[in-house]
Amino acid sequence: MSDRPSEMGDEELARRLASGLPRHEAPAHLRGRILRQARPARPTWWAPAVAALATALGLLLLFVPLLPRITPADPVQRLVRSVVAEHTRALLWGARRAEIEPASLPWLTQESGIGLAKLFGGDDLLAFTAAEPVYLEQNRGVALHYRDADGHLLTYVALPAPGLTVPEAKRRQVDRWRPALVHEAGFALWVWKQKDVACFLITDMVSEGELDRFKDYFVRVRVATEPYLPY
Amino acid sequence: MADGEFQRDALQHINALYNFAVYLTRKPPDAEDLVQETYLRAFRFSHRFAPGTHLRAWMFQIMRNTFLTFYRLRERESPIAEDGVPDWDAPMFHDAPDQDSVASEAHTDLERAMHHLPEEFRTVLLLAEVEGMPLEEVARIMACPVGTVKSRIFRAKERLRGLLRDYDVK
Repeated sequence: MSDRPSEMGDEELARRLASGLPRHEAPAHLRGRILRQARPARPTWWAPAVAALATALGLLLLFVPLLPRITPADPVQRLVRSVVAEHTRALLWGARRAEIEPASLPWLTQESGIGLAKLFGGDDLLAFTAAEPVYLEQNRGVALHYRDADGHLLTYVALPAPGLTVPEAKRRQVDRWRPALVHEAGFALWVWKQKDVACFLITDMVSEGELDRFKDYFVRVRVATEPYLPY
Repeated sequence: MADGEFQRDALQHINALYNFAVYLTRKPPDAEDLVQETYLRAFRFSHRFAPGTHLRAWMFQIMRNTFLTFYRLRERESPIAEDGVPDWDAPMFHDAPDQDSVASEAHTDLERAMHHLPEEFRTVLLLAEVEGMPLEEVARIMACPVGTVKSRIFRAKERLRGLLRDYDVK
């Protein structure tokens, strides 16, 4: 048997390979390097994303007051919403200032810009509770509040609206008048015009069963109230 | 990513893998990169490892595939020193005549001859003879039948003897 690998047999050469070839030990730092690389990457993506989102949100909040308000294009609808808001306010907190004395009518006309040649002052079914000037859709107007025997609050609102057209499709025949019946936010409104004044009568009687009574209230108010533009 | 237990088990084989990587790449820095890449791949695909099978063989298989995919191309591009031994691997005692001069030279020549073997022959010898793996595992790592492994071992030894004989003549 030779010591020279070139002359060794298969088994001897195998032994020489196993024992004679130098073994290379992994450097000490390699294990640490692998473990560092294997560590799950920190989700660094969220930091800039959240920052960008927060900035965008901040800017949005900053500009919200400057954004145009979404308002209905239909002027009748805009006025109806304002009347509903005013009626709701009166329902919740009552009239700001109850002025029901006849002596206070000149003051009311002066403040509201709406003259009242005649004023429905209540009867056995509707009690007149308050009259006050209002400011709706950049118009001064007048609001008269009534309450029926069942506790329903009715608000009559008159506003100057020379160019306003009452929607024909919603008109109903009530006695000798044809006001439009509009439903908005859980309230029912009669909408009509007397010369250049837009008139609204609003209540929460929205069911068909209450419609006849609401018609009756409309007639009582319509007959006895005569608004006009004094200026 | 792999859990801690898998990482611990896999890292037990780091020395064997590094040794194999050095013989594959011939350069320690490349060997380190290859080992690191092998481990990262193993950790990433640890869910594919079937528990109960041989983790060591699986790691070697990943290493060889990684080498064949990336490092072999680079190896072809890098020039090899005149004598076939890279600078880092120049034998320290090549010209030092002492009692172990024959063994030392044989040892050096053996290493040099290994580096000159084609990858298929080098790998089969390293896995079967140096690492002492069963032929079935070697076959799985090299993705070939056991018969092919046997044949490659035989031919690798023949080639190795031929190279060593050349060194003897020189």
